[in-house]
Amino acid sequence: MSTNKKWYSLNFGRNNEKPSGACGCGKTSGGCGSHGAKGHQEPDVNQMTDQEFAEAAINASIGEETKKDGFDQVFDVKMDRRTAFKKLTASLLIGAGAVSTSCSVISGDDSKEKAQIDWEEQFKGNYKLMSDDEKSATVDRLMRSYELRTGKNLSMSSKNAEEDVLFGYAFNISKCQGYMDCVNACVEENNQDRNSEMQYIRIHEMKDGQGFNFNEADDNYYHEVPAEGHFYMGTQCFHCDNPPCVEVCPVQATWREADGLVVVDYDWCVGCRYCMAACPYDGRRFNWSKPEVPEEEVNHNQHYLGNRMRKKGVMEKCTFCVQRSRTGKNPACVEACPTGARVFGNLLDPKSTIRWVLENKKVFRLKEDLGTEPKFWYFMD
Amino acid sequence: MLCNRYIMNRILLSFVLLVSFFSCKHGEGEYHGVIEKINAEGEHYKGTSISSEKYLEDMEMLQITEGEHTFLIPERKGEIRSYACTECHSKPLEDMHSEGMKKAHWDIKIVHANENTMNCVTCHNPSNMNELKSLTGRDIDFNKSYQLCSQCHTKQFEDWKGGAHGKRLGGWAPPRAAMTCVNCHNPHKPHFESRWPARFNTTVDEERK
Repeated sequence: MSTNKKWYSLNFGRNNEKPSGACGCGKTSGGCGSHGAKGHQEPDVNQMTDQEFAEAAINASIGEETKKDGFDQVFDVKMDRRTAFKKLTASLLIGAGAVSTSCSVISGDDSKEKAQIDWEEQFKGNYKLMSDDEKSATVDRLMRSYELRTGKNLSMSSKNAEEDVLFGYAFNISKCQGYMDCVNACVEENNQDRNSEMQYIRIHEMKDGQGFNFNEADDNYYHEVPAEGHFYMGTQCFHCDNPPCVEVCPVQATWREADGLVVVDYDWCVGCRYCMAACPYDGRRFNWSKPEVPEEEVNHNQHYLGNRMRKKGVMEKCTFCVQRSRTGKNPACVEACPTGARVFGNLLDPKSTIRWVLENKKVFRLKEDLGTEPKFWYFMD
Repeated sequence: MLCNRYIMNRILLSFVLLVSFFSCKHGEGEYHGVIEKINAEGEHYKGTSISSEKYLEDMEMLQITEGEHTFLIPERKGEIRSYACTECHSKPLEDMHSEGMKKAHWDIKIVHANENTMNCVTCHNPSNMNELKSLTGRDIDFNKSYQLCSQCHTKQFEDWKGGAHGKRLGGWAPPRAAMTCVNCHNPHKPHFESRWPARFNTTVDEERK
C-alpha cells in the first residue's frame, strides 16, 4: 500500500516465499526433528491449552501493571533478568508452541489447523498496510479460528472505506435526557466486557447555568432522569480529523481511515496507552482485564476494525460502529436513542441531515482551539 | 553596493518562500480544517453506493415533500386500531355517551397546552371523525398529522424537516426516512415522562477494578 514507510520493518523473507506447509522445516506432516526436540526441552509449552497460553503470554507482558497506574507503573516494577527474559520470549514461545503442535504426530487435524492459524496470525503485518487480499485472508483466519474453538460461526467483514463518505456526528444537548439507552446498546453491539464497566460512551449530568463544567459534572448518577435543573451531554471518541492519538502511537496501530473513522488494529496494538494520554477528550479505553462476553450475548456481526473480540491489554474505543456504518446503518447509539438527540451521517453529502444541522443550527465542538478538528458537533434546539 | 543589496533581497525572498512552502503542515490533506475539507470535497459529491433502503423494507412508508425536503415517514392509518373512526362515530358524540355502548377511548385527558388554547375540537372534527382538522377548518389526513402539529410548533417543524429534530429510521444513507411527530409524542400528552436510566452510569474507578 504505502511505499514510503517511516519505520524499519524486519523482513524474514516472508514476502518472497510463502511457507508451503505447516511448519518452518518444510514438512507438511509428521514429526520434524528440531522442533520436536524443542518441545521436549520446554514441556510447559505443550501441556498448556491455547487459552492458557495466550493468557500467560499476555500476563507476561502486562500482568504486573494491572493494578498500578502512572508513576507507580513505571518505577515500581520488579524486573530481574528472569522477568525481562520472560517478557522478551513471550511471543516467541507462542510461535514455538504453534510449530511444535503443527509438527506433532499425535495432535489431530483441528489442532494442527488451529496452530497454523495461530502461527500466521502471530506473524501477520499491520492491517493498515495490508492489501485487500491480505485483509480478507486474516478475517477468514479469525472466523475459522472462532469456528474451531467454539463450534459457532461469525461473520467478520474487512470492508474498506467507501468513496465520497466522511462520517460526522451531531449531538443535541437540549434533547438528551440521560436515559442511558445508548450505552446499553453500545455495550451489546460492540461486545464490550460485561464485568469491568468499560464503556465507550460517557453521559455527563451537568448543572444548568454552569456551562460545560466537567469537574462538577456527575458521571455516576442513578436517579430518575431528567433531574430538575440539570442537562445531559454525552462524550465518546470524536473521530478527529487531526487526531493526536494517531500521532503518538509508536507502532502505528491506530490511524484515520479515508471515511474519517479513527480505528485501532487490536492485533498490532502493544498497549502502551500513549494514545489514551494524548486524547484530550477521554475517548480511548484500555482493557485492564480479559474482556468476557457470555457466548449467547456475543454479537456475531463483526468488523476487523470494530467489534471483534479484543484481548487483555489493548486499546479500544468507539468506531462509530464501523461494522454498521459502512453498510449504511446508523451506529447503535443513534438507533437506540429514544429522544432523537443523536444525528449521524455523511458530511460530504450536501443533502444529508448532518449537513443541514451544521449549516442551520448553532453548533460547536469541544476544545476547538486545539486544532484536533473533531467530527462530533454539539447543538441546541 | 546596489547589486549586492539586490542579491541579498533575492536570497531573503527565496528563503521566505522556501520556509513558507515547508512550514505549512499539510501531511495527508491540503485543508486547514474539517469544515474547509467538507465544503471542498462535498462540492464534487457524486453519491455513494451505500443505501439504507433494505433496512426500511418491512416498514410501510409514505413519501412527503415539505419545502425543499423530500423524505419518507411511517404510514399511520394502518397503525391505528379501529380506523376508520366512522365505524363507531356514526352519530353525534352526545348520543354515544348516553347509550350503553362499548367504551373505547373515553378516558383520554388532554395534557397539552391549556384549556383556553386546546380542546378536542381544536384538532378533531366532530362531523368528520376520519380526518383531522386544521385551525381554519380544513381537513388534514391522519397520515400527515405533522401538518396539524406544525401549526403551532413551527420551530420544531423546521428542525424536523431539516433533520435536527426527531429520529431517523433505517440508516444514515439515502433514502432518508424519519419518524413523524406522533411516533414519539402522544398528541394528547406530548411531553416525555421522567424515568429511571437504563443502567447504572459508569465511573473510571469502576472501569479499572
